[in-house]
Amino acid sequence: MSTTAWIITLQFAGVNALFALGVYASLWTGVLSLAPIFFGAVGAFTFGYLAATLGLPPFLGLVLGIVIGALLGVVTAGIVIRLSSHYLAMATIAMVLIGRVLILNLPEYTGGAAGTLIPGDLGTWPWLIGVLVIAGFVMSRLAGSRFGFAADAVREDPAVAQTLGVSPRHIQLVGFILSGAFSGAAGVMQASFLQYIGPDTFYTHLGFVTLAAVVLGGAFHWAGPIVGAVVFTVLPELLRDVMGDYDRVVTGVLLVLIIIYMPRGLVDLRRFRLLRRRSRGSEPSGVSASRESANQEVLS
Amino acid sequence: MGLLTQQIFNGLAVGSIYALFAIGFALILARMKILNVAHGTFATWGALSAFWLVVQGGMNFWVAAVSGVAFAGLLGVLSELLAFGPLRKRNAGTFAPIIASIGIWIVLLNVAEGFIGPTTRSFPIEAVPSTPLRIGGIVMLPAHILSITALILVVTAVHLLLSRSRFGAAVRAVSVDSRSAAIVGVNPRRTLLAVAFIAAGVAGLAGVLSALADNNVSFGLGEALLLKGFAAVVVGGYGDIRGAAAVGVVIGVLEVLSSQYISSDFRDAITFGILLLVLVTRPQGLFSERQLVRA
Repeated sequence: MSTTAWIITLQFAGVNALFALGVYASLWTGVLSLAPIFFGAVGAFTFGYLAATLGLPPFLGLVLGIVIGALLGVVTAGIVIRLSSHYLAMATIAMVLIGRVLILNLPEYTGGAAGTLIPGDLGTWPWLIGVLVIAGFVMSRLAGSRFGFAADAVREDPAVAQTLGVSPRHIQLVGFILSGAFSGAAGVMQASFLQYIGPDTFYTHLGFVTLAAVVLGGAFHWAGPIVGAVVFTVLPELLRDVMGDYDRVVTGVLLVLIIIYMPRGLVDLRRFRLLRRRSRGSEPSGVSASRESANQEVLS
Repeated sequence: MGLLTQQIFNGLAVGSIYALFAIGFALILARMKILNVAHGTFATWGALSAFWLVVQGGMNFWVAAVSGVAFAGLLGVLSELLAFGPLRKRNAGTFAPIIASIGIWIVLLNVAEGFIGPTTRSFPIEAVPSTPLRIGGIVMLPAHILSITALILVVTAVHLLLSRSRFGAAVRAVSVDSRSAAIVGVNPRRTLLAVAFIAAGVAGLAGVLSALADNNVSFGLGEALLLKGFAAVVVGGYGDIRGAAAVGVVIGVLEVLSSQYISSDFRDAITFGILLLVLVTRPQGLFSERQLVRA
């Protein structure tokens, strides 16, 4: 692969990582949601429209994406949060489907089927890395906070969390807001890198692939989605020389194998700790057995 | 008036294909608890294999169609054997099968694209039934008649199978609690394999009929069906396949009528608008009973 191709691939890996963080933020609170794709789409098209009519500076564009995403997160949470797991996931898929219909039916703002051209001021490495670092910092601080522990509890068992004085809906609302902020930014960044967005840019395909990336990387630590998105974007490119048109088959197979044999994904702190202890040989066998069974635990 | 009846008939035919697809999707969702993203690719592969047999193998269309359905069913069985089964054995929770189905979807979609290429292809016109019938001023294409007939037969057969036969009782028992079912002598593994075969086979049938209806075979054929079938299943509820099938037919009619009388861009807006509305107000679907579960 040439250097330019590498650079472009890595840039998209970075944007996908942002989307993946958006999905993870909801998944952290026990909500499987494809809404980030919808948030990203709304952010991107609003950015595109304003940039074309008003000439938005890059920084404002980014802030706009984050704010729109977060607001949509609040609204979405208000509508769908009381649904139970499968129905909630379906409702967010329905949002993605409706997003495309809206884009097609509002041609004066979105360009309709022809799509919109976007100025690429934001589509550079410093902006991308800056946004990723800030997102990673926010997530790492949240992971050890009261919110982080509450989110873990809600994900494991909402009923138990409630008896511990945690309101699952509040936690999931915050999850949706975080998810919206990350994905709004991701949408604006994606649009800036592509410099063109159309009705199919933010659709089910991107949603499924992002979800897959989160699980592949590890849905139990914030670094997981980032690693997953990079692996998921770079791997098909690497395999293109060998596999030709069938480059993505490997990622699909890998995804099935990982969900069966490593359900906690590539970034799994529990397994790392376990392996380290094992190599020191200090852990009593009973504990390690119980930890192993815990590793098989539910992805819910 | 003639136009309206004609369009309603066309809508019924389109809707029958959505309904057929929805039946399989609902079966997997209700009985195996899997939101199967790969279900559309089963339909694609049903159509692709039938197409390949007709064009490359020079096979009779009807034989090829049956083989296509069987091949799609086989893909369903393989998914169960290689992905969903192992996950169930490991007690992997509710979201894991969705992720596994995304993996299967990626594989099958990618192989389909490599297999047939990015362009759309068509059946050779002489190989497929194409002489239209005229009854009472309505033009009926053979594909349309076939779709409607297939839907009526499949809904009746699957419904009777699930509600009246010993096999149906076994399926319901396994979907409630597979361990208790095993205690009373049901083999859960074999039962679910059969469900997977039926569901994927019906999806394959929908794929073949959809390819026949607009004589269009492409690797993305099943993806459009997936979205419509998904809407039908959610709106109709997935406990009873008749609900999903009825809504599938209604979606088809609404689509054809709205693109005739409003605009074709508006077509999906109605379908997906109803979808979100039903999800928010009556998430269990229009025709399902409320289920009680532990918090």
